[in-house]
Amino acid sequence: MSLRLRGMLKPDLEPITSRPPVVIAFLVVLALLGLFCVGRLVHHFQQEEKALARQLYWRSLREQVAGKKDLAIQHFRAALGYDHDNFEYQLALARALVDSGRTQEAESYLIGLWERFPQNGEVNLALGRLAAEEKSLDRAMQYYHNAIYGLWVSNAEQNRVQAWFELIRVLIGLDARRQAEAEVVSLSANLPPNPGMELLTANLFAELEDYEHALTEYRRVLGSDPTNPAALAGAGEAAYKLSRYRTAAGYLEAATKARPQDAQLTQLLQTSQLILENDPFNRRISRLERDRRLRMIFQDAGQRLDACIQAGEPQPSSSQSSTDPISPLKVRWTTMKSKLGQLGTGRESEVPDEIMDLVLQIEQQTAACGMTVKDQALLLLAENRAGVEQ
Amino acid sequence: VRDSLTARQEPSVPSNSAAAEAAPNVRTHPWLFLTANLTEERFFLILSVFIGIFAGLAVICLRLAIDWTSISLLGPAPSPHTLGVLLVPAVVGLVIAVLVIHVFPQVRGSGVNQTKAAFYIFNGRIPFRTAVGKFITAALAIGSGQSLGPEDPSLQIGASLAWVIGRRMKFSREKLRLLAPVGAAAGLAAAFNAPISAVLFVIEEVIGRWSAAILGSVVLSAISSVVVVRSFLGAQPLFRIPPLATVHPTELLAYAVLGIVGGLAAVVFAKAIGYFRPLLIALPKATRYFQPALAGLMIGFIGYLGAPQVMGAGYESIDQAMHDHFTWTVLAGLAGLKILATTLSLVTGTPGGMFAPTMFIGAMLGGAVGGVERHFYPHLTGTTGTYALVGMGVLFAGFMRVPMTSVFMVLEVSGDYSIIVPVILANAIAYVISRSLQETPIFDLLTRQDGLNLPSLEEQREEGILRVEDAMKLPVAAVLDSRLAVGEASQQVQGTSSEVFLVRLFPSGWGSVNRDVIERLVNEGKSGMTLASLLPAQPLPYLHPDHPLEMALRYVEQTPLVPVVSRADLRKLEGIITGEDVFARYRVAAGESP
Repeated sequence: MSLRLRGMLKPDLEPITSRPPVVIAFLVVLALLGLFCVGRLVHHFQQEEKALARQLYWRSLREQVAGKKDLAIQHFRAALGYDHDNFEYQLALARALVDSGRTQEAESYLIGLWERFPQNGEVNLALGRLAAEEKSLDRAMQYYHNAIYGLWVSNAEQNRVQAWFELIRVLIGLDARRQAEAEVVSLSANLPPNPGMELLTANLFAELEDYEHALTEYRRVLGSDPTNPAALAGAGEAAYKLSRYRTAAGYLEAATKARPQDAQLTQLLQTSQLILENDPFNRRISRLERDRRLRMIFQDAGQRLDACIQAGEPQPSSSQSSTDPISPLKVRWTTMKSKLGQLGTGRESEVPDEIMDLVLQIEQQTAACGMTVKDQALLLLAENRAGVEQ
Repeated sequence: VRDSLTARQEPSVPSNSAAAEAAPNVRTHPWLFLTANLTEERFFLILSVFIGIFAGLAVICLRLAIDWTSISLLGPAPSPHTLGVLLVPAVVGLVIAVLVIHVFPQVRGSGVNQTKAAFYIFNGRIPFRTAVGKFITAALAIGSGQSLGPEDPSLQIGASLAWVIGRRMKFSREKLRLLAPVGAAAGLAAAFNAPISAVLFVIEEVIGRWSAAILGSVVLSAISSVVVVRSFLGAQPLFRIPPLATVHPTELLAYAVLGIVGGLAAVVFAKAIGYFRPLLIALPKATRYFQPALAGLMIGFIGYLGAPQVMGAGYESIDQAMHDHFTWTVLAGLAGLKILATTLSLVTGTPGGMFAPTMFIGAMLGGAVGGVERHFYPHLTGTTGTYALVGMGVLFAGFMRVPMTSVFMVLEVSGDYSIIVPVILANAIAYVISRSLQETPIFDLLTRQDGLNLPSLEEQREEGILRVEDAMKLPVAAVLDSRLAVGEASQQVQGTSSEVFLVRLFPSGWGSVNRDVIERLVNEGKSGMTLASLLPAQPLPYLHPDHPLEMALRYVEQTPLVPVVSRADLRKLEGIITGEDVFARYRVAAGESP
């Protein structure tokens, strides 16, 4: 008989507490009891720690508001020591670090958060801001896009749009205008009906010199708020830039009524009106009136040339020109004056264009003498003689 | 029970009629059926799992106790320039001294050496009282700001719990001894949240030798304790690991520098402990009441002046170092202060461990070296976290002299094998420097200062192993074929001086025959008999050249001449070895004349 069996068949010779089955059963019970008790203890302790962490967190927020940045960071860290995985505390600490200029530390915290919550809008936005500070265009765009399309705990739509606006501002700041323009186009297509945001979008288009889209957006705003002065001004300016002076004059007139003290608007309005009044190529005016306007424009250009010569120090606008450009213009003006007689004779088909070419050159070359509203109007007329809004 | 557990190991199994009668009971009795196949080995494995569970639970409680003590004594967010930071470590130091002197005299120091002594000297015995004492005093010491860690106490507590669980089982002495390393691995794995490193450390430092028989139990206990800890406290490491990166192969030069700096720092650290500890032990016993308090006061002073990071285990600061929260000058300063603070705590016998401080110093040094490199070569440098992590391994390799553990610790904690080259490079350099400048490893040094002489893996590595090839001689006498007739054999051996001749058996094996026997048979007219018919049925034992020389000792007693044969061809004789050859070789190894 084996010793093993012999040992088992004579249990009376061994203390019962030493028998393997009894020992195993006892250990199982003890282990279960231990796991339960320690589990309760850990739970209780963790609750206590979390409460402590919350206290430290609020204290840190108060310190942050009071401007005690270093102390706030210390207590944010202490709070995280007691509640390691708390997203709120980590984000608060990262923001506090950013505020204190400790961007490298902040980034490491944020990257840790990002690895856990790659879709979180707030984390991506914070990382995007850091990347923007570091002028890292690709990373900034990546994080901002993650924020725009990511998850937000509250006010998701508003936060996304704000992140989008922020991205466009960042792109403009980093001189990535093409990317910025693409983002604004995309934003405007996804914008919820909100005049304030539409106005901001229109302003961004205008800033990016995409006046066509800007005008459309301003009109969208005016559709819901026809008297919005900012939209009226923006629409007028956009139309002016697009050489649609009649439209511009309409918006600018309404805008100046709301903002009479705005000198720039007034100037734009005056320029637009002068252009409309002096446009010789307006199809609605008679031939006689056209000739009259051409003569008047020509005279004004001549006077400007004389005034500039008398001023004595005309600065050529072209740096390439090393010789005085004004004298040849005066000669050309005098030659052209002899051709004015051809106006109204039926043989003058080339004369209006020649006049406007000369006017354009005169206004360009005499720009350094200072431009009045009328000069500005003449210059624009000469530049856009086919494009002035009919 | 021991009989029942070890029966399978008995060489012969006696049988009698009682067994036959009892056999049906084995099938019908559920308990007996359950234990019918339970050998000591298997029962020990099962017990290892329970040891791991209980060690894990104890370590969780220890961690909570340390945190609770720290919050209660130093406040939730200890700041410099506060009286609490200055005075608490000193006041608690007095309490600890009283407890250690009067209540728990076995809990001084880290606990690793005590566990090793339990394994080698006390058959695995570490009384439960020691575990309780270690728990209380370590929680008080670390919680009050002494510069110590909870890992070594966890190791000792685990070993003690293993003894408590296993002592009634009437295990064999070998198994009883194993309780200590099994519990130690469980405790360390739970404290460290890194089972592989814990197992390696226990093998490298506590057991001191590699043994497949031990490995199973140690691994099981380590894993079960880690599972328990992770299920309650989460799987995250003690500090967050940042993204790791090495930028360029030339950066390895910086890691080599880190290895040199770390190696030198480890030597300074070890020498400081080795120098001051015996001095303090030699002081009058009455001073032991004040030693931990004095150490606490000095550490508190460091914290008061502006470096509270050096107080306690310092995991938060390691985390911050890894995430670029300190400049390189601050990191270097913290490393130096931590060496000072930990030396103070350790030499005064305050209960607590060296693991966490070693990691702290390593992380700070690593971060500092990385910071300096970044200052001069910003485009060549990876993250500070990478340097800090490698630095931890460097200090481990240099200070504790556990090269395997140091490498795996970094890899296990980081979970990133991409940094293995810098880790190995820096650790190897630190290890070599430490071995060159500090002859005795720190744990052996502490053991010897305590009057014990325990074996270490490093010493064993240094001991050259003598092999058979070192002692064997080339065969000079004729080798006879077993198919030869005695007369032919007689002719072959004529003209040779040997008295004993090896016989090559057919188809394989070796035998030996004496000249006297051959001559006697020839004289008796038996020249026609083959040698094979004369030889005993049992062939000669043989050796291979790479066998340890100890192995030859087993055979030279049985036969005057042992053949040494090739492993590739057992019929090819490489040499011969006799008892005299073996002893002569040992005499040479001992420095005597052969």
